[in-house]
Amino acid sequence: MKAYKGVLLTCDPAVKQLILSIDERLRFIIMDLDETHLLVSPDKVEWMRAELETELEKNTYTLDA
Amino acid sequence: MASNGADHGGSAKRPRLMVKLKQPASSSRASAAASLSSSRQPSLSRDDYEEEGLPLEDDYVARPNDAEYRFHSRDFTKMPLKLDHASRPLWISPDDGHIILEGFSPLAEQAQDFLIAIAEPVSRPAFIHEYKLTPYSLYAAVSVGLQPNDIIEVLNRLSKVPVPETVLDFIREYTASFGKIKLVLKQNKYFVESAHPEILQTLLRDEVIGAARVREDPSAQSNKNGRMEVLGKAQAPTRGDLVIPGTESAAKKAQQSVAATNGAAASRPGASATGKAAESAQAAPRADEADLFSAIIGVDEADELDEDDTVHSFEIAEEYIEQVKKRCNEIGYPMLEEYDFRNDQLNADLEIDLKPITHIRPYQEKSLAKMFGNGRARSGIIVLPCGAGKTLVGITAACTIKKSCLVLCTSSVSVYQWRQQFLQWSNIQDNQISVFTADQKEKFSGASGIVVSTYSMVANTGKRSHTSQKMMNFLESREWGFILLDEVHVVPASMFRRVLTKIKAHSKLGLTATLVREDEKIDELNFLVGPKLYEANWMDLAAKGHIATVQCAEVWCPMTPEFYREYLREKSRKKMLLYCMNPKKFQAAQFLIDYHENRGDKIIVFSDNVYALEAYAIKLRKLYIHGGTPQVERMRILQNFQHNPLVNTIFLSKVGDTSIDLPEATCLIQISSHFGSRRQEAQRLGRILRAKRRNDEGFNAFFYSLVSKDTSEMFYSTKRQQFLIDQGYAFRVITHLVGQEDMPGLVYKSQAEQIELLQSVLIANESDADLGSDMRGSEWADGSGAGRQRRIVGSGGQQSRIPSGVAKAQRTMGSLNALSGAQHMSYIERNRSMNKTLAKDQPRHKAFQKRAANAKKRVED
Repeated sequence: MKAYKGVLLTCDPAVKQLILSIDERLRFIIMDLDETHLLVSPDKVEWMRAELETELEKNTYTLDA
Repeated sequence: MASNGADHGGSAKRPRLMVKLKQPASSSRASAAASLSSSRQPSLSRDDYEEEGLPLEDDYVARPNDAEYRFHSRDFTKMPLKLDHASRPLWISPDDGHIILEGFSPLAEQAQDFLIAIAEPVSRPAFIHEYKLTPYSLYAAVSVGLQPNDIIEVLNRLSKVPVPETVLDFIREYTASFGKIKLVLKQNKYFVESAHPEILQTLLRDEVIGAARVREDPSAQSNKNGRMEVLGKAQAPTRGDLVIPGTESAAKKAQQSVAATNGAAASRPGASATGKAAESAQAAPRADEADLFSAIIGVDEADELDEDDTVHSFEIAEEYIEQVKKRCNEIGYPMLEEYDFRNDQLNADLEIDLKPITHIRPYQEKSLAKMFGNGRARSGIIVLPCGAGKTLVGITAACTIKKSCLVLCTSSVSVYQWRQQFLQWSNIQDNQISVFTADQKEKFSGASGIVVSTYSMVANTGKRSHTSQKMMNFLESREWGFILLDEVHVVPASMFRRVLTKIKAHSKLGLTATLVREDEKIDELNFLVGPKLYEANWMDLAAKGHIATVQCAEVWCPMTPEFYREYLREKSRKKMLLYCMNPKKFQAAQFLIDYHENRGDKIIVFSDNVYALEAYAIKLRKLYIHGGTPQVERMRILQNFQHNPLVNTIFLSKVGDTSIDLPEATCLIQISSHFGSRRQEAQRLGRILRAKRRNDEGFNAFFYSLVSKDTSEMFYSTKRQQFLIDQGYAFRVITHLVGQEDMPGLVYKSQAEQIELLQSVLIANESDADLGSDMRGSEWADGSGAGRQRRIVGSGGQQSRIPSGVAKAQRTMGSLNALSGAQHMSYIERNRSMNKTLAKDQPRHKAFQKRAANAKKRVED
């Protein structure tokens, strides 16, 4: 029997796609569970969080931009 | 995630994220404990902090000396407040000249009139308005006759804080130089005029301007150095008995035939007894306030302050006008351009007046009063929302000047609209107003008249046909009293320059609804046409029923996972197509159309992207118009939309943004748009501002913008709304349409259907994603003459026509079936365009035909 250490991630379907595209640059997903859940490796969580933030920030308009 | 997002300033518009982290259930205990500290803490939201009583790390907890930290260099807490600050409505920022007005103050209305005159509105939502002092706005203030001391005096009375020194200096500096010299066209000669001879001396010492001067005595050329120039002197004009037609005092004048010496702007009672009020320093009772304001704002009073008794002038040569104007701007003495049309004997008067039944609205009167402040016509720009009667302002101005007039607009459709409006509102003779377009070139009869044309006709530099060249010579040869520039914001500066140098006009008036451009070229208009004379407040007009009240909403449609995956992969062009064709957006559009049709609304759906437009319209079985729709079909569709109770929805591409006027429409849905164009958003909103039903009680028009979540559309959408938000509109965000899922007949409900849609989007031609693809079909063929369409039949039954100017080779791609011609055998169009189902214009029924024939015969007998 094999056991993986991981963090369970819950997100909405669209964001899951975004995370998958981040995963293509640097693998961190251990398993794709279903439409809204992923199991990811714990040490990459912070990095992924920052990446996701910058991706989504691109779609936000601010007045000084 | 949530805690990071919540303390950003712009977080209101951020897509809501639902990423939660949980501890892995199956991993070993030891590692779970280790990862607890690292992964759990950042996932705490603000609520968690507050519940647990932990101190917040940001500036939400007020600390006594953290103002500095919070505002950085913009800490103005040290400024003293006046003792009675509560009754004064303004805050003035010392470092950038921004003025904040409390819109709920009892004095707000008068303060607003004053601020409009001296500053530019930045943002005007319901309660707090922001204005900005700029060089241009002060220039405009001086040009309507305000004095710097009066500006400072009133500012000081209204402000909660003493007016900062920096702002005082700013006002003094710019008003000192602005408006001191004027460029006047008198008897066909250009004069630089000023009440201050020393300024003229300064100008004449400048080599560019000095060289442009026309001297009556050529020998004076030789000893010009060191000699004081002799300047002409004349009496300054006063407003006298100039009356703007259509206003109250015009009516009075007609009744009593008494010279209305006070002028048209004197609509408020007691406008004359104002001298004392200006001196009293304390906040006086309301009535006194009103007097003070009319003293400052009222144009007729200001003139007496403005004009000295004598003015000095020198003449400059016509061909140097452009250089002199530029030079004057450079050395800090911009020229005002004015036209003394009442004393112009050289140009023949035009018999034109408003019809007696025509009455102009108060705000139109106000804007014109600024233009004709001292009895001369000033050049400038008037900004009024769509549907607020810009045309009538233009016509009234023409009726006031009563000289030959050239009207320029953007398209040939509006050329005819302008002509028709002139005939409707004024008593101009049919033969005195002529039209100059590609298909119609005529001159007016008589010595003076009106010509209506388009910018492109006049500015065209290419080769012209013989008749239009003749017409152009005619336009260039004469001198125009007045040039009216419609939709002045759309015209590129270079085109303008060409128009304005070719055509000699005494005064210019620009009209627009949206004085914004994405390319920041708006400033150039200030010197090409003139300063902004007047800008109306949209919310005010809506409250008074001149334009419709609109409820704006932004509907967030989540992307389906399949679409989003492709979206992340594709390049930018295709990306746009993907977020337009998002099935959830399809459903939202269907739901909203259905909902509003049941309410009895007439709906226009806008889509910039033609591929999406056709897909939506065909799927939802609605009529549509885009650039390629033939003219006859267009007219038929529009007529049906206006009169047929069964046709309540039409889809329009961007051809409908401006030129199509549909007062029946009460609801707008926007499914795709031109990136972040604020102007387009405002123009589209303008389509429903003139709704016929606007004066019904409780009537609301609706404006929906459908946006796909987590895509760049969110970015554009927020940017687009900025202009309307600054006008005081509020956008509500709808994240979920109640009842959408349960709607019968909802399209693309199953995943299989959605994937099928995705397939067809993916194979769609690259050019379909292009915004410019609206210009296909007949319009291209007309334009190039040799244009031909290539037809490529794809294997999926996908048809796309690509316009091409070259007709030499024809390349056809497709499946073997299609190439051999076998495809037609199996091809049946199940989902036909609704456009085709519209009944053709059928001849009348036999019985009616017979009856009509009989009736005709009877008349003849």
